[in-house]
Amino acid sequence: MAGEYAVRGLAVPESLDLVQDLLVQVRSEHPDISETDLSMFETAIAEIHGNVVKHGRPVGKVVYAFSLSVHDDRLVGFLADTGEPATDLSEMPLVDEMSESGRGLWLARATLDELLYVRSGDRNTWKMTRLRSARAATH
Amino acid sequence: MQIDVTEPRTGASVLTLEGRLNMVSAPQLKTAITEAVEAGRTHVVVDLADVGFMDSSGLGVLIAGLKRTRQDGGDLRITGVTQQVATVLQLTNLDRVLHSYSDVGEALDGW
Repeated sequence: MAGEYAVRGLAVPESLDLVQDLLVQVRSEHPDISETDLSMFETAIAEIHGNVVKHGRPVGKVVYAFSLSVHDDRLVGFLADTGEPATDLSEMPLVDEMSESGRGLWLARATLDELLYVRSGDRNTWKMTRLRSARAATH
Repeated sequence: MQIDVTEPRTGASVLTLEGRLNMVSAPQLKTAITEAVEAGRTHVVVDLADVGFMDSSGLGVLIAGLKRTRQDGGDLRITGVTQQVATVLQLTNLDRVLHSYSDVGEALDGW
C-alpha cells in the first residue's frame, strides 16, 4: 500500500518532534512496514533534520519541508531547507568512541541504502532511501 | 521526555527515562546526570526500557555522562535497551563503551 506524508515549518529543535510524530502516523497506517525499516528510516531523518536545526543559518529562520513516500519496495524521504550549504557528505569518518558529537550524518548513512544531497539555488535537498525488507512468505 | 530520579543507595542514582531521547530531550538528561554527580551520586544507571528512540544527541549525552561520572570516581551504566537503541549503539560501536545490563538490579550489582 502506498502513501504520502508531509510536514513543513521552521527548523527549530521542537520541529524534530513534529517530524517524528509523522513517523508515528506512518507506523500506525502501514503496519506492513517492518519495525526495523521504519525505525532505521526514523533514525536517518532525525539525524538529518537535527543537522539542519543545529547547523542551519540563520538560526531559527531556516524553513524546512519534509515529505515521505511509502512504496511497496522502499521508503523515500525528501528534506529541503533554506539554510546555508550543508556539510560535504564525503567527509564523514566515524568519530572517536569517546567523542560527544559528530556521529549524526554518519549514522544517517549507515541506516539508509542511499543518501543524496543536492544544493540548488538557495536550497539544500536531501533524498533518503531505505529499501524495505522482504516480507515473510505467506501461505 | 519524562525522567524519574531515584536514589536506591548512597552514592547511586537511577534515572528512568520515558519517551524519545533526541535533540529536544537530550539536554534534560545531561542536566539530570550533572545534578546527580554534583550531589555525590557518581554511580548512575540510565534505564532506557521506555525509550523507543535514541539519536546521536542522546548518544552524546550518555558518553558525556560516562566521562563525567568516571572523572569523579563513579560510572554510568545503561539498562533496558530497546531494539532501535541497540542498533544505534551497535552501528556506532558504542556498545563496546556503554555496557548494557538486563535490568536495574543487575546494573547496580557490585557498586
